[in-house]
Amino acid sequence: MVSSSSLSGLGTHGWRAPMDCLRASEMCNQNPQCSSRFRIMRQCLVGRDRTTMLANKECQAALEVLQDSPLYDCRCKRGMKKELQCLQSYWSIHMGLNEGEELYETSPYEPMHFSDEFRLASIISAMDSALSKGNLCSDTGKPCNPCLDAAKACNLNDTCKRQRSAYIATCNRATPITHNQEPCNRKRCHKALRQFFERVQTEFSYPLLFCSCRDKACAERRRQTIVPACSFEEKVKPNCLELRRTCRSDPLCRSRLADFHMNCQTTPHSITSCPNDNYHGCLVSYVGLIGSDVTPNYVDANHTNITISPWCSCRGSGNQETECEAFLRDFRENACLRNAIQAFGYGADAGFLPITESQSVVPSERPNLQPAIITKPVISSNDIKPVDSACVFSTCANLKDGGQKCSPSNSFECADESMLDPNMDGSIDSMDSHQSENNRARQSSASPASVSAVTVILSITLVSQVL
Amino acid sequence: KRTKRAKNGSKVCSLQEEEVTVSQLGLGYISDETVLFRYCSGRCEASRRNYDMTLAILKRNSKLIKEDLKKAKHRPCCRPTAYDKNISFLDNQSRYHTIHEVSARKCGCV
Repeated sequence: MVSSSSLSGLGTHGWRAPMDCLRASEMCNQNPQCSSRFRIMRQCLVGRDRTTMLANKECQAALEVLQDSPLYDCRCKRGMKKELQCLQSYWSIHMGLNEGEELYETSPYEPMHFSDEFRLASIISAMDSALSKGNLCSDTGKPCNPCLDAAKACNLNDTCKRQRSAYIATCNRATPITHNQEPCNRKRCHKALRQFFERVQTEFSYPLLFCSCRDKACAERRRQTIVPACSFEEKVKPNCLELRRTCRSDPLCRSRLADFHMNCQTTPHSITSCPNDNYHGCLVSYVGLIGSDVTPNYVDANHTNITISPWCSCRGSGNQETECEAFLRDFRENACLRNAIQAFGYGADAGFLPITESQSVVPSERPNLQPAIITKPVISSNDIKPVDSACVFSTCANLKDGGQKCSPSNSFECADESMLDPNMDGSIDSMDSHQSENNRARQSSASPASVSAVTVILSITLVSQVL
Repeated sequence: KRTKRAKNGSKVCSLQEEEVTVSQLGLGYISDETVLFRYCSGRCEASRRNYDMTLAILKRNSKLIKEDLKKAKHRPCCRPTAYDKNISFLDNQSRYHTIHEVSARKCGCV
């Protein structure tokens, strides 16, 4: 498959199916000429900006040769194996090709298409949302909170629940050593967030992030999705261009940012304001930024007007003020991004359609929207009747009295369970202190109840183990 | 599923599940988030050992026995043998919490 044929033969034909950069660098390494230039190029790029690099004759020559190699056209896949290595290969050439300080860079990722999978998903979800539409937000008089529904759907899916708990636990935990300075381990939190969005089906993860809100409580829950206290906010707000520089020194962040710029760039001539009218592409690349240095989030719990931004400002930009504003505008005032988020959350709900959008486009432009989750909560919130839920606990682990009368059939098992051992505090302490680190302001009335309930349940566990 | 469970009282010990809100868990957290609570339920007669028989007979027959022996359980009990590690949620005051071992993962007659 991999041949060592001439460099030019493998060159710039790859527009349709670009080779991945791992394979491209493999092929290059099998060709003595290519591999030596590739090596030179990588040395050229170490710690140098573009102008000083191109001043060097040898570097320039290497770049020219490599432009004819498969490395020139190669791309990487999102979430591929060895993604980071692939991206490193990509940038080892493209750092030299791109202008160092230019606003936008070419994305190293394969262009996003509506794959067949997504077409299918959009058809199914269109049916789903059509079915559930009548019930949406109108059941049982409860306030409508699609973000809460999204959390429910996630909790009922084992993978989503596990991964969500993992990043919440990581991002919510104060590190013991740096306890007084840092609220959490930001690096680990970012990694856990990236894992969550990589490993959990978008069917579950996206509704958590892009749910539609009609009140503040919902919008606050949406804002809290990525645990912003750890993953987003910092004590100081850096200058946005400084943040971009930090991001561009890291191949992954640099790639995700370039990808965001490519897929969420406001496009004046398209109906949706998005490149190729591809909402899905924009959302995917937006999510790709979460867990990077330029992690974006909702800036407040405003439910009528969405504002997205990374944690940076344009204060102290000096003569680069204009460029900084342009960078920030791509987040804060991005019609494509805003339309894409609203289209996801609200579906074809006419009240929330962007003004520039025509009705006829909407149905086909809803890839992966309104997934099946919407149908579930409607059923199950009615399902949990008070009587049922009281009986949930009536296994042999009855809480003293209460339970007995609602467990007619299993009175046989453990019916004489009455003894509660109070000596089982060790694990409770560690658990509770864990929680209280993060919940200083928890309702004082809640805490004693919490501890005693935990005591009861753990004691019962002990009792059964003794038996 | 529900009706079958209701009429069938002789189901053997197994994992069951119920959707409940975090508030309903009764641990003092106030959150409308729904979680899946898995619990153990069912009969354990098949797992009775000679130990259980002897204990039952002793308790029934002897009048002058120690207090401890009277309290001893002579039936195996359907209990979790493994728990779900943890579950995290956002409470109604927008604070995250993680609770450990609140839901069963495996059941057994012990």
